[in-house]
Amino acid sequence: MPTEIKIPKLGLTMTEAILVEWSVGAGKAIAVDQIVCVIETDKVSLEVQSPAEGFMHPVAEAGSRVAVGEVIGYVAEDEAALAELQAREPAAASATGKAAAPATAPEPPEKAPEPPPSPAVKPDRRPGERIVATPAARKRSRELGVDLAEVAGSGPGGRIVLADVATAAEAAEDERYEGMYDFGSVAPESEMLTVEETVPIRGIRKIISRNMKLSLSSQAQLTLHTEASARGMRETRALFNTRLEEGQVPVPYNAILVKAAAAALRQHPRLNAVVDGRDIKIWKEIHIGMAMDFGRGLIVPKIRNADAKSIRVIADELGDLVERAQNQKLVPDELQGGTFTITNLGSWDIDGFTPINNFPESAILGVGRIVDKPWVREGAVVAEPRMALSLTFDHRIIDGALGARFLKTLKDRIEDTRLML
Amino acid sequence: MPDRILSSSAALAEALHEEMERDETIFIVGEDLVAHAGIFGQFKGIPEKFPGRIIDTPISETCIAGCGLGAAMTGMRPLVDFHFSDFVTCGMDELCNQAAKIRYMFGGQVKLPMVVWCPDGAGLRAAAQHSQSLESWFVHMPGLKVVIPSEPADVKGLIKAAIRDDDPVMFFQHKKLFAKEGPVPEEEYVIPLGQAAVKREGKDVSLLCYGSGYYLCVEAAEKLAGDGIEAEVVDLRTLKPLDMDTVAVSIQKTHRAVVVHEACRTGGFGSELAARIQDELFDELDAPVKRVGAKDFPIPFSPPMEDFVLPNVSDVLKAVHAVTYR
Repeated sequence: MPTEIKIPKLGLTMTEAILVEWSVGAGKAIAVDQIVCVIETDKVSLEVQSPAEGFMHPVAEAGSRVAVGEVIGYVAEDEAALAELQAREPAAASATGKAAAPATAPEPPEKAPEPPPSPAVKPDRRPGERIVATPAARKRSRELGVDLAEVAGSGPGGRIVLADVATAAEAAEDERYEGMYDFGSVAPESEMLTVEETVPIRGIRKIISRNMKLSLSSQAQLTLHTEASARGMRETRALFNTRLEEGQVPVPYNAILVKAAAAALRQHPRLNAVVDGRDIKIWKEIHIGMAMDFGRGLIVPKIRNADAKSIRVIADELGDLVERAQNQKLVPDELQGGTFTITNLGSWDIDGFTPINNFPESAILGVGRIVDKPWVREGAVVAEPRMALSLTFDHRIIDGALGARFLKTLKDRIEDTRLML
Repeated sequence: MPDRILSSSAALAEALHEEMERDETIFIVGEDLVAHAGIFGQFKGIPEKFPGRIIDTPISETCIAGCGLGAAMTGMRPLVDFHFSDFVTCGMDELCNQAAKIRYMFGGQVKLPMVVWCPDGAGLRAAAQHSQSLESWFVHMPGLKVVIPSEPADVKGLIKAAIRDDDPVMFFQHKKLFAKEGPVPEEEYVIPLGQAAVKREGKDVSLLCYGSGYYLCVEAAEKLAGDGIEAEVVDLRTLKPLDMDTVAVSIQKTHRAVVVHEACRTGGFGSELAARIQDELFDELDAPVKRVGAKDFPIPFSPPMEDFVLPNVSDVLKAVHAVTYR
C-alpha cells in the first residue's frame, strides 16, 4: 500500500501552501525522514520529510498552490507498486527532470542520506575551482563580509553578480537572526475573524522588527521623565529665524535639541556607548540620529559629529536630510553608525513616552510637545511653555543617577541655550 | 521665463548672432555661405546683419582651414565651416599638424581660438563619403577639443563656449538633428566645455552617449522603463575634455554602463570610454561595459543597407539587457 505525502498544517490559520520544489526526482529511492520537497506559506518555508521508505512518486507540480491535507505524492513500497502508481497517475513533470536514474531497478538506500544543510541556494563548484564574480560583486562581498565561495552565481556561466551577493547577505542575515521575526502562527482561528490583508514582514519592516526585538531582548531599558521650559529654546530659535539670509532654512527645534544632546553627551560620555561582547565601548564621535517617518517605515539619518557643529549648520543638515528622506534619496551610509538617537513626537501632541533604544545604541531621548502651562515664576503664576523629555537608557551600563544627571545637564542646556556656547 | 521651442539650426543661428554682436573679431568662413546662409540655414540673417564677416571661399578645404588658422593666430576668432565633416580629410594637415600643435610649439605665445564646424552623421541616404562620424580621430589628437551637442539648448550653449575658447575646437553636429526641436532658455547662457549632463535619472544602467546616440538612448530608456529597468541617460556633450566625474558618479550608482554612438565601434569613442571606466571604476562594475555603434562598413547608399549598418534602439535594448542580466 503506497504511503501518501500530504501537506502538513503548520499553523492555526494555515489553509494552503506553495509547493516550491521537489527535492527528490520521480522514481527515486528514498528513506524515512528524507527531505522530499520544500513548501512555503506566507509565514515560513518548510522541508517536508518522507513518511516512509520506498520509491518516490510525486504528483503535484512544483510552483502550484496546494491545500492543507492535499496529497501531493506517494511513496511506493516497491517497484511493482511504483509501476502501478505510474500507470494510475503520471508523475509531476517538475520532478521527472531530476530523475536521472530510470525508474526500473533502483536500489533502496541502506540509510537516509544527509539532508541538505540549508534551503538557501549553495554553489555547485568543484574544490579549487576559480570563483567568477564581477568586480562590483567582489567589492560588495568584502563590505558585507560575504564569502564568495558560499555564493551561487546567477550571471552568464555562473558569474556572481551584485544581486547574488545581496541575496546571500540577506540569507545569512536571516539565518543569524533566525526566530527573530517569526514566532510561528499565533493568529487565533475563529469564525468571527477573517484576515483582511496579509503584509509580509520584509525589507525595512524586517530590519525595524529585528532591531526593536534585539533592543528590548538584549538590554535592560529604563525610562526617566522630566519636563523643561521651552522658553529659552523658543527665544534662540526666534533669534535665528528673524535673521534668515536668502536661501537659509529656518532653524527647527530639533536642531537645538541635537546640539543640546551632543553637548550633554560630551559631558556624560557613558551614554554615548555600546555594549560589545563583554566590553563597554565608548565612542569618540557623537553621531546623533534623528528618527523620521514619511510613511515608508521608521528611518534614522545621522548628524555626524554634532558636538562640533553649530545650530545653524545642524539646521541646514537636518533640512537636507529631511528633504532627501522624503524623496528616498538617502544612502545607507547616512542611516548607519549612530551613537545616540532623538525621537520627537511633539507634533502629534504626545507628552512623555518610553522610547526604545535604537539598537545597539545605549540611550535615546524622547521629546514631547511644547505646551503652555501655568507656572510660578518670581512669585506670580505665568503661562510657561513646557516640554516633556523622556530618556531611555540601558541600565546595564548606565546607572539611574547617571541617567538622571545626563537629563539634568540636557534640560539646563535646553532652558538656557547660552550654556552651549 | 519659459523656454522657447527652437530647432538646432535656429539655436545655432541665435548663438552666432549674439556672439558676433558681442565680439567683432568673430567671423565665419567656408563654401557657399553668403547666398544660402549655410546649406542647413544655420547662418540665417548673418550675411545681412554682418556683411563682410561671413566669407565665401573657393572649393578648397586646405584653403578654408589655413585661412582660419592664420586668422586665429593673428587675433581673430574664426568659425570654419567644413560643409560636411567628411571633407576634413582635405584640411587634415592644417588641423592636426598646425592648429593642434602651434600653441604648444610656440611655447604659449599664440592662442588659437578657432571653431571647426563639422556637420556629420548618416541616415540621409547620402552614401559613404557624406555620412561619416569621425570624432574619434580628433579625440586622438592632443591639442584639439571635441564637442558634440545633441539637443538645441546644448547647441547654443556649447557653440558659445567653443567660440570663447582659446584653443581649436572641433564642433560636430549631426545633419539629421538640425531640424530637431527642443526647449531653449530665453536668457543668456553658456555651457562650459567638459561638462556632461544627466538628462534622465535611473539606477539600473548608465547609458553614456552624445549627438545622435542621445536620441537612441532616450527612446531606449523609455522602453526599458516599461520593463522595470531604470536607465540613466548621460549626455557627454564634450568628448575632450571629458567629464569623467559625472560618468563616475553615474556608474557608482548603476554599476553598469553602455556607451552609445553612431560612429563605427572599432576604434570609436566607446573604446576609449570603456577603457577608462574599467581602469578608474573597475570595482564598481557589475557587468562588462558594452558598446553600441555602427558596424564596421563604409555607410551604404542603399537605404535598407544603411539602416542595417547604423545602430538602432533595439541594439541599445539588447546591450542593456545583457549588462543588467534581465
